[in-house]
Amino acid sequence: MLLPDRMTKILIVGSKTRIKETIDILYSLEVLQPIDFSSEEEGFTLGSPLPVASQASQRLLKLRSAEKELEVVGKKLSDKILLSKIEEDVDDVLLTLEAEITGAVESKSGIQNRMHELETMKLALEPFTALDVSIDLYKGYESLTVLTGNVREDPSSALSAALHRYEAFVSPNGKFVAVFVMKDEAAEAQRVLLQSGFAEVPAPTGKGDPQAAMKAIEGEMEALASSLTEAIEKISVLREKHEAFILASEEHLSIVVEKAEFPLRIGSTAHSFLIDAWVPQKSLSQVQQALQTQLGDEIHVEVLEEAPRKEHIHPEEAGAGVSEAHVVETPPTKASVKRPVNMFSYLTELISTPKYGEVDPTIVIAIIFPLFFGLMVGDVGYGVPFILLGFLGLRKCHSDEWRTISTMLFFGGIWATTFGLFLFGEAFGMHFGPVWIVEPGQTLAQLKAQYPFGTELSWSSMTGMQLPTLGVLSKLHDVKMLLYISLWIGLVHLFLGFSIGVYNETIRHGFKHAFFHKVGWMMILVGGAFLLLFIIDLLNLNKPVGLDDFRALTGLGLIIPGVLISLKGEGPQAILELPTLLSNVISYTRLAAIGMSKAGMALAFNMLAIEMIAPVGGVAIIAAILVFMVGHLMIFILAVVAAGIHGIRLHYVEQFQKFFVGGGLKFNPLKVVRKYTTER
Amino acid sequence: MVDIGSGLIAIGAGVAVGLAGLGSGMAEATIGAAGVGAIAEDPKMFGKSITMVVIPETIVIFGLVMAILLWIKM
Repeated sequence: MLLPDRMTKILIVGSKTRIKETIDILYSLEVLQPIDFSSEEEGFTLGSPLPVASQASQRLLKLRSAEKELEVVGKKLSDKILLSKIEEDVDDVLLTLEAEITGAVESKSGIQNRMHELETMKLALEPFTALDVSIDLYKGYESLTVLTGNVREDPSSALSAALHRYEAFVSPNGKFVAVFVMKDEAAEAQRVLLQSGFAEVPAPTGKGDPQAAMKAIEGEMEALASSLTEAIEKISVLREKHEAFILASEEHLSIVVEKAEFPLRIGSTAHSFLIDAWVPQKSLSQVQQALQTQLGDEIHVEVLEEAPRKEHIHPEEAGAGVSEAHVVETPPTKASVKRPVNMFSYLTELISTPKYGEVDPTIVIAIIFPLFFGLMVGDVGYGVPFILLGFLGLRKCHSDEWRTISTMLFFGGIWATTFGLFLFGEAFGMHFGPVWIVEPGQTLAQLKAQYPFGTELSWSSMTGMQLPTLGVLSKLHDVKMLLYISLWIGLVHLFLGFSIGVYNETIRHGFKHAFFHKVGWMMILVGGAFLLLFIIDLLNLNKPVGLDDFRALTGLGLIIPGVLISLKGEGPQAILELPTLLSNVISYTRLAAIGMSKAGMALAFNMLAIEMIAPVGGVAIIAAILVFMVGHLMIFILAVVAAGIHGIRLHYVEQFQKFFVGGGLKFNPLKVVRKYTTER
Repeated sequence: MVDIGSGLIAIGAGVAVGLAGLGSGMAEATIGAAGVGAIAEDPKMFGKSITMVVIPETIVIFGLVMAILLWIKM
């Protein structure tokens, strides 16, 4: 349960005539992860794809191009399509598609190209419509130069002063000119124009009145626009018609190609093939049975070895019979955790996949993270919405991220509600029962008589009813106690981390290694816990304690040997790590601090809304309700972020460092996922 | 009326949490920027990045604890 599933390495050898059936069986079993063949073994070469691969690839290529041209996007289909139908129809459909699509797509792109051309022509012609000059008059002179372009200011007067034989046309707004000038004065004309900020615009080709030409272009564009809509319509009709079939056959053919190319991953000789693979031990008999019953004597399955949990086998330990190859290959990690624990496995994967020989920390996260979350929120008013939101998310969301967040909210919400009811006894930052704060010079009995519903804001004082006082602690009044409790939670959490560390190290490297690397630290931690008890008495309660105190002696008695053991195991850096351990423990005070900060904010909003705004009456009551709602919504959202991130961080940073190595390979068996197709 | 001693304690508490927060922020800014860079190259780095980014956060918790202890003394 704690360690990943045991893996066994098997070897499957068979005749090449049955390779297709073998591949189909292996894919349908979904429990076998092949080890890619390295072509180093003597007498074997890499396999070659099955004959069906090339035909399927060609079809796939055509399908994908059709898919692209029709802009088909993957989506949910109402009905799955039968494989037999795909096999039967795919060639016909491809032919039809090719004929229909080519026509439609070509006419669409033809129209688009022409529209683009017209757009360019229109842009070029645009300025000339302001002048009353026929287009064909701009070109074809031997003795004249024509200068056309934009200017900043009307150059007419400057031109008439500088030139003798010319004619100029200026647009009504004075920003565009066409100057017809004799060639010998062209240079002078250009100089004058440049002074007016002349920027040349080449004259358009064509003939006739520019405005008429413009109209013709616009008319053609309009006609094209409507035929473009038609073409797009036609393509979308085609898409509607073939979408389901294209998606389904693309899926099917991809699977066919993947299976047909599988031999590229395995070794083969002229007449036989061999597959090295990892299989979970518990599925071993299933694999053997399936292959034996369906292929009989034509296939041979040999169990090579059970993957060892131990790493780095030392030569003297390994002894005879264990070759280098056994040490090098890493078995894949197949998590053994079941629902609901595996709903948290995304959080482990975020850091790394556990190694084959170490405890899957998902179970720790699954149990403790919701507890931390609940402790930090600790409020019925937020806990219940968390549960509802989480439940809704689990029903509606499909992506891993959102499902994980929903899981966190759901289980965290359950604990938040539990702690809110029985530990803190509050909803929306207010206690249920009456609260009295005793000021100097007053007694509790006096206050109780004078204020039956308490001196502080609570659900009792707000509703004017005697509600039962649930919960034993107050986030804002028992701060010291909460800080103290959170330190102890930290000590226990870290102790758990070290315990798993000892277990992991023992499994992977033997107990001796575990003793020097983890047990020493465990002793330091436990010693620190004893010292904490002692220090609290010394500092806080001002009790007379001496150094001969039993707790101090036990603490030091554990810490000193612990440091020595760690020194031997890890060298001088163990000393440097000591303060880290201390800061790790103090880091857990955030459990109390975050709860407190949220309670503080809630108190502020409650006082603002209930004690300051609402008593004004009238419209102010609506304003008070608004302030209350917006304020608590803000705290609610902050609670998700703060409690979520800090809860998971205490695992990632503080606890995981004590035992988690990671870097395993995730078990990735051969299997096919069919979304659009079905075999029956 | 609050006496001067309490006022000084309150200022001390504020300074403790404020400076610690500033320190954490400065440290996290650099790590966060590097982390985002790493995630852009390989989304799998997200888990490691977030672990790195939140490490300095402990500092502000220390500040907060100090502030709380001071506040209790008020």
